[in-house]
Amino acid sequence: MKSLLSLRAILVTGKGGVGKTTITAALAQTFAGMGKRTLAAEMTADGISTSALGAALGVEGLSETPIDVRENLRATLLAPTLGHKKFLEDVLPMKLLADAAMRSAAIRRFLMAAPTFPEMGVLYRLLDLVRQTRSDGDWEHEMIVVDLPATGHALALAQIPSSLLRIIQVGPIANAVKEGLAFLLDPEKSGAVIVTLPETLPVSEAIELAAGIREHQIPLRHAFLNRVPNDPFTGDERRAMAELMASLPPTMGVRTLDRIARADVARSRFATGVKTNVTELPDTLHAGPDLTMHIAQTFAQTLAQEAVSPVGDHEARR
Amino acid sequence: MSQRPPDFPPVIVHEPTFLDALVSTKKVIVCCGAGGVGKTTTSAALGVAAAARGRKVLVLTIDPARRLAEAMGIPEAARTPSPVPREKLTELGIPANGELWAWMLRPEVVFESMVRGLSDSEERTQTILQNRLYKHLSQIVAGMQEYTAAEALYRLSTEGNYDLVVLDTPPSRNALEFLEAPRKLSMFLDERVIGVFLPKKRGAFWAAASSLIDTVFTRIFGAGFYQELQQFLGAFSGMFGGMRSHAEAVRTLLTSEEATFVLVTSPEPSALAEASFFKSKIAELDLPFAGYVLNRSWAYTRGFGAPSAITLGDSVDPALHTALPKLQVLAAEETARAKRDRRLLLDLRAQTGNDAAIATPHLGGAIEDLRGLAALAQNLVKLEPDGS
Repeated sequence: MKSLLSLRAILVTGKGGVGKTTITAALAQTFAGMGKRTLAAEMTADGISTSALGAALGVEGLSETPIDVRENLRATLLAPTLGHKKFLEDVLPMKLLADAAMRSAAIRRFLMAAPTFPEMGVLYRLLDLVRQTRSDGDWEHEMIVVDLPATGHALALAQIPSSLLRIIQVGPIANAVKEGLAFLLDPEKSGAVIVTLPETLPVSEAIELAAGIREHQIPLRHAFLNRVPNDPFTGDERRAMAELMASLPPTMGVRTLDRIARADVARSRFATGVKTNVTELPDTLHAGPDLTMHIAQTFAQTLAQEAVSPVGDHEARR
Repeated sequence: MSQRPPDFPPVIVHEPTFLDALVSTKKVIVCCGAGGVGKTTTSAALGVAAAARGRKVLVLTIDPARRLAEAMGIPEAARTPSPVPREKLTELGIPANGELWAWMLRPEVVFESMVRGLSDSEERTQTILQNRLYKHLSQIVAGMQEYTAAEALYRLSTEGNYDLVVLDTPPSRNALEFLEAPRKLSMFLDERVIGVFLPKKRGAFWAAASSLIDTVFTRIFGAGFYQELQQFLGAFSGMFGGMRSHAEAVRTLLTSEEATFVLVTSPEPSALAEASFFKSKIAELDLPFAGYVLNRSWAYTRGFGAPSAITLGDSVDPALHTALPKLQVLAAEETARAKRDRRLLLDLRAQTGNDAAIATPHLGGAIEDLRGLAALAQNLVKLEPDGS
């Protein structure tokens, strides 16, 4: 996991319902706990938030301007409006004109409703947040962890910049898109992580997602296998039990036994298919901010181990 | 590990549920919910259920993931809906008048047929279809899916080819975009917005607005591209009225008695949170809400024996003696989950006011084929094996 520490932005991807938002929150909390000024961001191209990230962090009402969660940790919605505004300010010769443009209902509607413009607004906002500095010249946010929309949409989003560049090749939009792409594709600065569950379909989709991410040349830095069921059996015990269960009518406990078996298969398929380092997280009954805290503790321990043990750095041996 | 039939454990519905009336009478059923809760399989299973009632059903998915096609055995890149072969339906006991079709929405196809349908001449059709911007827009998936889903729903439900369209929406946040797409589309297509981009608008107000917009857009797009954009919008301008009336028709359809919204959720707290967020959104938009499907629940334990009832003889594998107490621990966890899920189901029933919530069992592995879908359909509605 420690290769994540040097990045400026981490894009958390995965199918819906796999715990993406919780992992986003936990990563942000871990980095903040290590003293990094961290921003957790929920991406929303239409400006509508489910407040899931806020719930995972134990705060209410995320807005487009970052709010303080605790020391070193802020949270925000990554929405198009401020990105559009900043873009107009950067491009138009006078701030007055940019303000007038943003006040114009026609232009505002166009930016929000024309296909691909909301998404580009989000990208520009991310760039702006990455670049912001404090009065002492340091980064305002050293690390930004972004909770992306579910699988299919993450890939659809990744398609936009290069597609847009094909039709708008010169001018301010092209420049902004090029800058955004350069940032997203720079392995020193940004990277994607994948979250999935140890079940058949989620692992298949995660492997497809990994391939899609690579196709768009976005660096894939890490993967998380979430909610791995606890296996209390030895190999012999499990074999014998599975055999016994197959000969009996349905018994309580057998569905969990099957789930453990599926998790084993899924784990090895994932390891070979996703081609990056995988951190496993146990299935627990925790929920909400409590769950975030538990996962953040696991992350902190993993990072501490990697820091002291050269063997712990399996990333270097990939 | 052990191989079991896909309908294990068998929790077949013997009394009509709230979904029974819907699959028999509605024209549109929209399945919504958080990601990963089984919306696609639920939509497909409702499709199977309606076909079993002798209706002609189309299951339409706008989920960019490719699962429905695989489960239903239909070609992935089809330009039009594909039928599930008759022999497969017969195998599932679906009567001769029942038909099941499926389609994965392809925005570029929907767009093209919309242009053809609304264009006043072949020349105009070609001007648009050959336009560089048009090609770009029709190939972009993000955003366009939501615009085209509404248009597709309009077309498929008004053409009268199907008795029922079951719509599988993308995960919640994007599904909201779909609900808002008709409104957003008409907002975008408002003449006051599009009009200012078009060359030679008259009137002082328009002149002022146009001049600001000209300045801003020439600056950001560059003069060449801005002209191209104006040409594109100009070529399209005759169609805006038609597009807007489609958008309004979809809105009318979705708020009418003929449509209904089913919320699919899993027992996960985050999925439930999204479901309640969604329910308030459905109410806010004045859409008809039918009820909940609590998917992959552990609520059903009927027919399951307790591990404590197992007696091990002397001749069994010695590993079983240490394994059995461990299975009992797992069984206790399952019992706890079952209690939680039953409580959840009661809560959801109470929320609807008319007990409109149903739980489907945790089927273990993924549903991968039609047989699995048919098994799930039996968990959702009352389907007698003889088709009566």
